[in-house]
Amino acid sequence: MTAVQVVFVLLSLVAVVSALLVVTTPHLVHSALWLVVTLGAIAGVFLVLAAEFVAWVQVLIYVGAVVVLLLFALMLTRAPTGPQPDLTVRRWAPAAFVALLVAVLLGATLVAGFQDVRLDLDQAVVGSAEVTGETVFRRWVLPFEVLSVLLLAALVGAIVLSRLRSEDGDD
Amino acid sequence: MELYAPIIGLGLIAFGFAAFSVVMSAVVGPKRYNRAKLDSYECGIEPTPQALGGGKFPVKYYITAMMFIVFDIEIVFLYPWAVYFDAMGLFGLVEMVLFILTVFVAYAYVWKRGGLEWD
Amino acid sequence: MTTLAVSPLLSESVGDFTKPSIEYFDLSPLLIIIGVALAGVIVEAFVPRRLRYVVQTLVAVVGTIAALVMTVFVALGLEPRGDNAGFGAIAAEGAIAVDGPTVFLWGTILVLTLISVFLFAERHLEGGVTAFAGQAAALPGTEAEREASTKGLEHTEVFPLMMFAVAGMLLFPASNDLITMFVALEILSLPLYLLCGLARRRRLLSQEAALKYFMLGAFSSGFFLYGIALVYGYAGSMNLGDIAEAVSGTIGADPLLLGGIGLLAVGLLFKVGAAPFHAWTPDVYQGAPTAVTAFMAACTKVAAFGALLRLFYVGFGAARWDWTPMIWVVAILTMATGCVLALTQSDIKRMLAYSSIAHAGFILTGFVGLNAVATPGTAELTSLQAVLFYLVTYGFMTIGAFAVVTVVRDSSGEATHLSRWSGLGKESPFVAGVFAFFLLGMAGIPLTSGFTGKWAVFTSAWQGGAWPLVVVAALLSAVAAFFYIRVIVLMYFSDPVGEGPTVVMPSVLTTIVIAVGFAATVALGVVPGPVLDLAAHAGQFVR
Repeated sequence: MTAVQVVFVLLSLVAVVSALLVVTTPHLVHSALWLVVTLGAIAGVFLVLAAEFVAWVQVLIYVGAVVVLLLFALMLTRAPTGPQPDLTVRRWAPAAFVALLVAVLLGATLVAGFQDVRLDLDQAVVGSAEVTGETVFRRWVLPFEVLSVLLLAALVGAIVLSRLRSEDGDD
Repeated sequence: MELYAPIIGLGLIAFGFAAFSVVMSAVVGPKRYNRAKLDSYECGIEPTPQALGGGKFPVKYYITAMMFIVFDIEIVFLYPWAVYFDAMGLFGLVEMVLFILTVFVAYAYVWKRGGLEWD
Repeated sequence: MTTLAVSPLLSESVGDFTKPSIEYFDLSPLLIIIGVALAGVIVEAFVPRRLRYVVQTLVAVVGTIAALVMTVFVALGLEPRGDNAGFGAIAAEGAIAVDGPTVFLWGTILVLTLISVFLFAERHLEGGVTAFAGQAAALPGTEAEREASTKGLEHTEVFPLMMFAVAGMLLFPASNDLITMFVALEILSLPLYLLCGLARRRRLLSQEAALKYFMLGAFSSGFFLYGIALVYGYAGSMNLGDIAEAVSGTIGADPLLLGGIGLLAVGLLFKVGAAPFHAWTPDVYQGAPTAVTAFMAACTKVAAFGALLRLFYVGFGAARWDWTPMIWVVAILTMATGCVLALTQSDIKRMLAYSSIAHAGFILTGFVGLNAVATPGTAELTSLQAVLFYLVTYGFMTIGAFAVVTVVRDSSGEATHLSRWSGLGKESPFVAGVFAFFLLGMAGIPLTSGFTGKWAVFTSAWQGGAWPLVVVAALLSAVAAFFYIRVIVLMYFSDPVGEGPTVVMPSVLTTIVIAVGFAATVALGVVPGPVLDLAAHAGQFVR
């Protein structure tokens, strides 16, 4: 085993164990925090696979923003949060079965599709930010610009749904 | 992979320092237990026993969270843009300004409609 | 051992940058709609409250008409591709294909959008305000909500939100690579999730609809995204043309490709409301404001079928024998679900929702029809032509029917329960007559557009060798006719229950919508030729 493989296996173990903790802990907030560990470990996995840009996106968006949004959602709807034992016991067996089934199915598809493919880590430039920049601003410049419209729509929608202040006068 | 060795090294050092600090302060730090020490805020502010509104946060935090997310997603695009900027020159600048301006239309809207005022 | 296939694009040397070319003229309808949406948000920010409704409506109407005009110009300027492969070109660095079918769908979506804007802008029925919530954030049944209501607040943001959705709908069937398609899918969906939750009456039902639509929609987007990943892993490219090349070079079944096709199909079939991914449809169609229901029932289906056709015909065309059985099964399931469950409904909006599911099934029947016309000029119909035509007929009927639903009311708003519709024929013979006509159209009675549409898809499917599917579809059409006729019988041959329904006279806006829907249903039923020719003239998708 090379050093890269050791790091990969270690990170994967961290990701899997913390993912299990996400779904088994009775604390909702702990669950969200374990998710940080899972997503962080996955970012590490991406890094090991030379997908540098994806790794940073993983950290920025998932570890940074998505978990924060999750915590916000908890505070907006479920606070005060304490241990909720009923969170994890109900119907865990069918849930575990479905999760296992999905994992096996997706895993099998990927193994079947990529079993002969090897990635040369020293040569790969696929995942660098520079290559991403080139593709985004040449090939996908239109979807990129249209994405700004999507963000705008999302923000407008958020404001419509949550702004409670009644309008006085003709602001 | 060797490129990442310094980063991993830095991470290990940071982790080691954090672990060292926590362990050392537990081992060598003086231990005085009294009421003030166990308060949430040692400086003397009394925490309210029950949060307002049954502990739920007001919904206005939601807009804050959404704006944060949108900024975050913008940064994701700014990063490769900045790395690749030298090759693109003016065109890149125009594209990014267009992108940011579009998103900022929403900020103009929320600002004008009082969504950023706290009370 | 092979090394990971790096797509030609990615392996290009970094550094020498050539500016991407954007064909602004070809994309003008899309750009106009995006501009209108942006303008709408700016109007929200800077125009005083009392003027907003008028300005927003004007901006939306003028913008949609401008986009429509540009669509016509784009259509006239399409260049033939020479090798008998249709008209048009690939634009925006391969992200978009502006070809005959694209322009046809753009036109259809924009016309349907235009009349939907009228429905959105209807203020007469609610006594001077639109049918959208005064303040969406106010909890149903609270003081804040009553206050918003007495102050006459209304969310005029619905117009820009609608235009965002339309931008997504224009982009969706035109997208020539999977990333663009996904971005379009999201732009199309997100505003619709929001709009569903903005009904003025029955707020809880509306919010439930929005949440259900959002949850399931996000789930289906996840499927779509995973499908993209698998197809990219298989083909090494997001571009439909490159995928097509990779597919035609494959011998035997590749698990990545089959998995990718399946997952992408789930995402798209969810959007068109095909069984077994239809579960959201009745709840969402019922809970959403009826204007939104009309808009999304018609336009989303047009856009999503356009994307489905492009993805499967262009991208996976060479794997036709792999996905045809899947479409057969889905088509039969969809038609059966729609037709049989519609029988058990007691709410008019839910019934129309199941009817729209059934229609999705009929369209899927046409989907597996004839690939290409052997000899142009004969009576043969290609799948593409038949489906395009059906989408037009379906869109007008649906918007018309939902527009009629908005005017049949009682004290608590729209009277959507079927029992409230009994005796409508005596109460208001004119409205009942128009609605009966729409129902007959949906049932596919001759001299309505529903008949010519069904004839088109069935002919195409039959000529393509899918005759068992056509037989099943014809039998299920008969079942479907039963529940449409049942409503007509209810309206004309039952006595009103209690006070009975009242028909509120709408303003000129809704009247226009009903009139246009009616006229289109008659015209396409009696003289379908011009639109069929137009669909035929649209030619094939370009790569």
